[in-house]
Amino acid sequence: MPDMSVEVGGLKLRGPVLAASGTFGYGTEVPLLERRALGAMVSKGIFLRARAGTAPPRIVETPSGMLNAIGLQGPGAEALIRDYAPKWAEWEFPVLVNINGESASEYGEMASLLDGVPGVAGFEINISCPNVEQGGLYFGNDPRAAAAVTDAVRKRTRLPVWVKLTPMVSDIGVIARAVESAGADALCAINTFVGMSIDLNAYGPRLSFRTGGLSGPAIRPLAVHLAHQAARAVHIPVIGIGGITKAEDGLEFLVAGCTAIQVGTATFVNPKAVAEVHDGIAAFLAARGFSSLAELPRYLPRD
Amino acid sequence: MFVIGMRAPEVAATVRAGQFVNLAWDSGPLLRRPFSVYRSDGDNIEIVLKAVGGGTEQLLAMEVGDRVSCLGPLGRGFRLAPGARSVVLISGGLGVAPMPLAARDAKAAGMRVTWVHGARTAAELCAESDGEKVVWATDDGSRGTAGTAVAAAPGADLVLACGPNRMLAAVAERWPDAQVAVETYMGCGTGVCLGCAVPLRRGGYDRACTEGPVYRAADIDWPALPSHLPYAVTA
Repeated sequence: MPDMSVEVGGLKLRGPVLAASGTFGYGTEVPLLERRALGAMVSKGIFLRARAGTAPPRIVETPSGMLNAIGLQGPGAEALIRDYAPKWAEWEFPVLVNINGESASEYGEMASLLDGVPGVAGFEINISCPNVEQGGLYFGNDPRAAAAVTDAVRKRTRLPVWVKLTPMVSDIGVIARAVESAGADALCAINTFVGMSIDLNAYGPRLSFRTGGLSGPAIRPLAVHLAHQAARAVHIPVIGIGGITKAEDGLEFLVAGCTAIQVGTATFVNPKAVAEVHDGIAAFLAARGFSSLAELPRYLPRD
Repeated sequence: MFVIGMRAPEVAATVRAGQFVNLAWDSGPLLRRPFSVYRSDGDNIEIVLKAVGGGTEQLLAMEVGDRVSCLGPLGRGFRLAPGARSVVLISGGLGVAPMPLAARDAKAAGMRVTWVHGARTAAELCAESDGEKVVWATDDGSRGTAGTAVAAAPGADLVLACGPNRMLAAVAERWPDAQVAVETYMGCGTGVCLGCAVPLRRGGYDRACTEGPVYRAADIDWPALPSHLPYAVTA
């Protein structure tokens, strides 16, 4: 089997396929989920305090995709430290915590609280959630706000800091460079697109939050392009996300300049999706005669 | 109403009344579709469905021998309290889906079973009875009592119900301790997506796929639970 290990944003990973935030829970609750081939897991996004989440309906299927507005339902940072981190500490792959806040200082507070907790291997700063009233996307589409949040976290931890970017910007390179300058170790591109679906019986939105984040194969070509643009703009690694359901999808992101990938919505359909994408990429490399993922040709002209 | 049977030995061996399977198939919709297990016999299980959209039409167009991906059994089913001597099974439309297994388990536990089937018209009524007592109710009075299944139902030690959420809210009014199987939007069915949120009277939400789909009727915040689904699911 080819050497699948990668080094990304301060972490040495056994494989390039990661579980995306919000699609693997905290990794402990669901026996059906396959953890065998995980390069790393990113936890469900968490705020300092517990959040109930949005009212139903929270999801709706759309052509080759789904809209969600979960609203970052979660138990809060203290429960995460008490209930989940001790389990992560025993796993053979790192777990990053997807952190959220309503202000830059709240993101910093999260990093302080979680830094040094056994089981917490790093942070994925979420400045791109479209489903919260305060914070979220606001920080992700302004380069100064994005940099301020990154800086607030960077100052409070020596653990790897990744920043998850929103596609809802006119030039993702501008945001990518801003958070790179503020000390990010890697970028995750991209979070969901903001979308809307209308119920023609109710003459109104299908989701109670009105809008939701679009994910799934429907967004894949958009995501490949944005991840590629981000990778061209910076010198830190980019982790590609968006509609990956099989090995070939993930390979597109890797060839387009990503160092690793995250599988998300596909896990909802197939609890073994991460492992199958990992195995498929290994088989692809072997079939083409590559002895490691590092030998995969890349298409990454520099800006 | 159509019945589809499939060979699923692992599901058939362990499924409990009120649990569901989540199905996917080639060229089907992106997300799986949840179905209550209707019957279970040997290596086989059955589900019931109506043709309501593209997904169900694809399922109904399948030939004998075609394969589907079947994840389950999922969720928590009905809990048959020890000591109950009678049970009433109230179903509206496709809400009949979990009831044959409930009747089987209730009879095995020595309970007297009464079925209550409700529908808009006689043509839409279900006929399940397994030789037990049956009460019918139709909105237009074309068969049985004119009115709702909830109004027509006799009392019993144990009340189990499944059907439109508006019907289940009426069950909660009359029997707070009834067990109801709710219908929600569903994403993964395995507990990770948090899409099937059920609003609770004590505040917050939990997951129909994991803590449900069967609930104590009075525990649900009924006005906050969507009662109209853009695609019909049976869970």
